[in-house]
Amino acid sequence: MASKEELIQELSDAIISCKKDAVLAAVEKAKEVMEPAEIIEKGLAAGMNEVGVLFERGKLFLPHVMMAADAMGAGVAVLEADLPEGSESKKLGVIVNGTVEGDVHDIGKSIVSTMLQSAGFEVHDIGRDVPLRNFIEKAKEVKANMIGLSALMTTTLPGQKEIIALLKEEGMRENVKVMVGGAPATQAWAEKIGADCYAENASEAVAKAKELLL
Amino acid sequence: MATEYALRMGDGKRVFLTKEKIIEEIEAGTADAADLGEISTLSGDEIDKLAEILMMPGKAVSVEQGMEVPVTHDIGTLRIDGDQGNSGVGIPSSRLVGCMMHERAFGADTMELGHIDYSFKPVKPVIANECQAMEVCQQNMIIPLFYGAMPNMGLYYTPDGPFENPGDLMKAFKIQEARESMEHAAEHMTRDMVWIMQRLFASGTDGVNFDTTAAAGDGDFYGTLHAVEALRTQFPDMYIEVGMAGELVLGMHGELEYDGVGLAGLWPHQQAPLVAKAGANVFGPVVNTNTSKTSAWNLARAVTFIKAAVEVSTLPCHVDMGMGVGGIPMLETPPIDAVTRASKAMVEIAGVDGI
Repeated sequence: MASKEELIQELSDAIISCKKDAVLAAVEKAKEVMEPAEIIEKGLAAGMNEVGVLFERGKLFLPHVMMAADAMGAGVAVLEADLPEGSESKKLGVIVNGTVEGDVHDIGKSIVSTMLQSAGFEVHDIGRDVPLRNFIEKAKEVKANMIGLSALMTTTLPGQKEIIALLKEEGMRENVKVMVGGAPATQAWAEKIGADCYAENASEAVAKAKELLL
Repeated sequence: MATEYALRMGDGKRVFLTKEKIIEEIEAGTADAADLGEISTLSGDEIDKLAEILMMPGKAVSVEQGMEVPVTHDIGTLRIDGDQGNSGVGIPSSRLVGCMMHERAFGADTMELGHIDYSFKPVKPVIANECQAMEVCQQNMIIPLFYGAMPNMGLYYTPDGPFENPGDLMKAFKIQEARESMEHAAEHMTRDMVWIMQRLFASGTDGVNFDTTAAAGDGDFYGTLHAVEALRTQFPDMYIEVGMAGELVLGMHGELEYDGVGLAGLWPHQQAPLVAKAGANVFGPVVNTNTSKTSAWNLARAVTFIKAAVEVSTLPCHVDMGMGVGGIPMLETPPIDAVTRASKAMVEIAGVDGI
């Protein structure tokens, strides 16, 4: 029988292969010796992290990221029935993510949403060109712990600042962390507008969300 | 206490570093580029030269005499009168005045005419206006004047265009449909760009600048290379410049090829041969600035990538330098100390043919 380390490697490799069948087979095999939570965390999520790294290095591409995320979702679905009662809905945090009003750029924000979701966060991607007030309404509706704000243009960047002001007006700022990103956003900008963090790319977004929410 | 030199972070903040720390940052930056691009790091002499440029006492620095290179400016026609909260300075002036100021006052060696939307697709309904503007500019100017715009394949997807948005399709895990949408969009984009440039060439443009190529990923690059190929066939003397959007061609499709080479995941030194093969005259490589790193790290990384592109390119390389690219900080009006140091390093170490 394969050792736990070998099974973890097999799970991770299956995710990196982006093949749903391979992931499901690896999950079935691992179930015999590993707990579902361990399979997800040490095998599937670790594989997904590697997919993110390979994407940023230009070795895997967006369709691969999506296929890997789909395969991971299928693997988690199989395991959910075996998770201890109450733990199936356990998420690292709830995040509302979107591109601010006036800005139609979507790709980077969607990759961030996918990677956050794969890392175990409950992500509500509310799309692009989103009216600023909608971020607040959605955060209230889903009881978000964090809002992710993307902007790819200098002309739409101030929308991030306005949403922080709206959070304050609504008395929500203390309970909702704010992450900003997008080409013209910087750490200095995040500090200037009072955001909790700035992320340079998708894998950094996951790392910083974990830092702030765990 | 060791002497400290004033440098910048990638977001423009001032930092003060010792010579030892600068060298350390340069070594880390060049190693990062070498690792990602599978290219050589800068040599010891080049690292010393880069450190020397960064530590020069003057606020602005310049290339050594005899090493001057041509300088062009992309959307400068609009930056004089533009005032949209971006980099425009809000001085009322026509595009002709903007072009002529660049020619006669700012020392631009070549220049381009661009439309405020700065993408090819929106030029279609105003083509007569653009042709007229080009003719008037050409009648008043001496330096080569191109027409410039972004391929911007995103405009061919919903809500701006006829094809379903691949981002939405991908989110629904409809990978094949997303890929087909990109292929259709690329085909239409190629057709539009060729149609527009046929008319502007008839109106006297000296050439075309495909600016920010591959902004929408490998499909965008694919469509642009095919447009270059078609234009070269029709207009053997047309001057064609292809400038990139970023250092890496993002794999949105992942399987598109040109001349048998997969387009996704290409770094500058891998992009250059394909741009030449398509029939362009000049290649504009780009390296992104990391806003969380120092200018020493960013510039070393950028110079390493660009040097590798210059070495393999059969075309002149006119490196893209500006806000957030080429080792320059991400600021609306990039600081002169950073811009001039980055430019000097690109010319004297990377060996670029123009900026």
